[in-house]
Amino acid sequence: MQKTGGQLAMLLVINGLLLIAGSLISSGSFLSIFNLQSMASQVPEIGLLAIGVMLAMCAGNGGIDLSGIALANLSGVMSAVIMSSFLSATDNGMAFSLAFIAGAILVGLAGGVINGLLISRLNITPILCTLGTQMAFMGLAVVVSGGKAVMVGTPALLSSIGNDMIAAVPISFLIFVVVAGMVAALLRFTPYGLWLMLMGTNPKAAVYAGFPKNGVIVATYAMSGMLSGVAGIIIAARNVNVKFDYGSSYLLIAILITVMAGVKPEGGYGRVVCVVLSAIALQLMSSLLNFGGLSNFVRDFAWGLLLLTFLAVGRYDIAGFLSLGRRSQNPSVPVPQTPK
Amino acid sequence: MKSFSKKLLAGTTVAAVALVGSIGTLVAQEKPVIATVVKISGIPWFDRMNTGVVAYQEANSDVVATQSGPATADSAQQLQIVNDLVAKGVNALAVVPMDPAVLEGTFQRAMERGIVVVTHEADNQVNTNADVEAFDNADYGAALNERLAECMSKEGKWTSFVGSLGSRTHMQWVGAGEENAKKYAGMTLVDPNNESFDDANGTYEKAKEILRKHPDIKGFQTSAGNDVLGVGRAIDEAGLSGKVCLVGTGLPNPSADLLESGAITAIGFWDPQKAGMAMNAVAKLLLEKKEVTDGMDLGVAGYNKVSVKQGAGKGLLILGNGMVLADKATYKEHLF
Repeated sequence: MQKTGGQLAMLLVINGLLLIAGSLISSGSFLSIFNLQSMASQVPEIGLLAIGVMLAMCAGNGGIDLSGIALANLSGVMSAVIMSSFLSATDNGMAFSLAFIAGAILVGLAGGVINGLLISRLNITPILCTLGTQMAFMGLAVVVSGGKAVMVGTPALLSSIGNDMIAAVPISFLIFVVVAGMVAALLRFTPYGLWLMLMGTNPKAAVYAGFPKNGVIVATYAMSGMLSGVAGIIIAARNVNVKFDYGSSYLLIAILITVMAGVKPEGGYGRVVCVVLSAIALQLMSSLLNFGGLSNFVRDFAWGLLLLTFLAVGRYDIAGFLSLGRRSQNPSVPVPQTPK
Repeated sequence: MKSFSKKLLAGTTVAAVALVGSIGTLVAQEKPVIATVVKISGIPWFDRMNTGVVAYQEANSDVVATQSGPATADSAQQLQIVNDLVAKGVNALAVVPMDPAVLEGTFQRAMERGIVVVTHEADNQVNTNADVEAFDNADYGAALNERLAECMSKEGKWTSFVGSLGSRTHMQWVGAGEENAKKYAGMTLVDPNNESFDDANGTYEKAKEILRKHPDIKGFQTSAGNDVLGVGRAIDEAGLSGKVCLVGTGLPNPSADLLESGAITAIGFWDPQKAGMAMNAVAKLLLEKKEVTDGMDLGVAGYNKVSVKQGAGKGLLILGNGMVLADKATYKEHLF
């Protein structure tokens, strides 16, 4: 558990430092309630996608989900096109919103199940499979929308998801926290969570132990797909429009977030809380650089630096090294043993 | 380790609360801030726009004018920058949207907070106070065609290129060109609206095909920025420089060689530097609660007598006369 706590502590320290640095640079306005709300409502899209990538990575065997943002856009586009042919967003806002949300989650689920089936039944390497489905999802979104932005508008419920607050916290952020909490609980308290992690650690042993291997893989990618669907809803709620090529840079950022959160790329280990904190850290850093008026190229550099720092921490347990007294009791441990 | 992270959490929370408490004493800057956000930073077009923003800042010391933009061409990245600027509390935004549709929600929230929003290259933007366009698209298309007709002595076969059939402005330009060509009975349009996808190589291949199919062709009107380069190269290699006319949208620096050799008759463009200055000028007028009226002088070359119309939403559509047609003799005045 040494490494686990270290990663969490490190993320907390980084978040704290970024907040302090931000308030120094902007002489306080970085911590104004409005900016905190603004940043909180920017995190969910990318945070949800990162949790999806984390789940896929945990499944092991080179698991990864590259189709996240394409599926999120497809859910938004498809649901908007289908629902607006039945219901009017202006006359019947509530019904449209509910139908849109259900539609987006279903499309996300379907996309995820397709990924899961291709990977488990046909034994396609996840990186190739999801690269293929990513293109297919994007292409489908282009066909469905004719390459143009699809208007969702501001019907009652969707508009409040995108703009309103509960107790000064943006609703989109609350949705993100609740969904993340549900995934975390699922991983921690159900047999599925245990199967997923053990299978990621040693797939062969998992098969001999009689785990429902295909079922776990399909469920994992289906969940990742559903998270994309939720991200699609939040994108639509905030931007009023959905488009097939939105967020093309999110793909790599989502992977960056998961690696920074200490999720093991070879599978078997990952914590949702770390992914959430890591997504927040990236958001703080990019907002910070925008506040400081620095070039966005500096941001890419800073992200790279942050990633390397985390990789170094993961390897040498710097967090433990820094908390002086504990060092003698818990000498640095090399990377945990991976399946041979 | 758990108690350690809890301590850290407590520590950072205390620090954060202390900092939040100290904000109250700080007041916002008294000079209004106009933030220009471009589609992507670090490319020649928007570097040129930045020179306009810098020049505007030098001429107007009573405002703070800055320019920023995403490092990757992704509307989500531009959206984030705009969101952060709104949260930072700028007074006005001057945005060249990567994708107008994606920014609608954020612009709406910004305007609700009293921020002035000015856009450029987005005449379909609904949530904006004013959209500034360098010229009327129909006028531009007609002007390109008029220049072509002049070179062709108003007779012979001609064809047109667009970036893609879905590109709204390109279709407007060639559409207006076709209308203009109807004035001259001797001009016949053949194989119109070839798609170039803004790819100089693909356009080169296609232009060679057209030259083979119609050996007597006299003119090309092109739309996307790289089309003049592709068609120009095809004309140059066929030894037809000066015999076949080529007029289209292009930038002076990349087109210089082909303009010199005579393969390109003339290029049309608008100067992003002036567009940046005009956006900032409109933002400042709106910040001062002044009205932008038809025929007004924004104090920027090409925007001395703007025409003001109702935009796609509640905002204004401000059209300048910033089109530039440059040929071999004049392109050196606009090198960028």
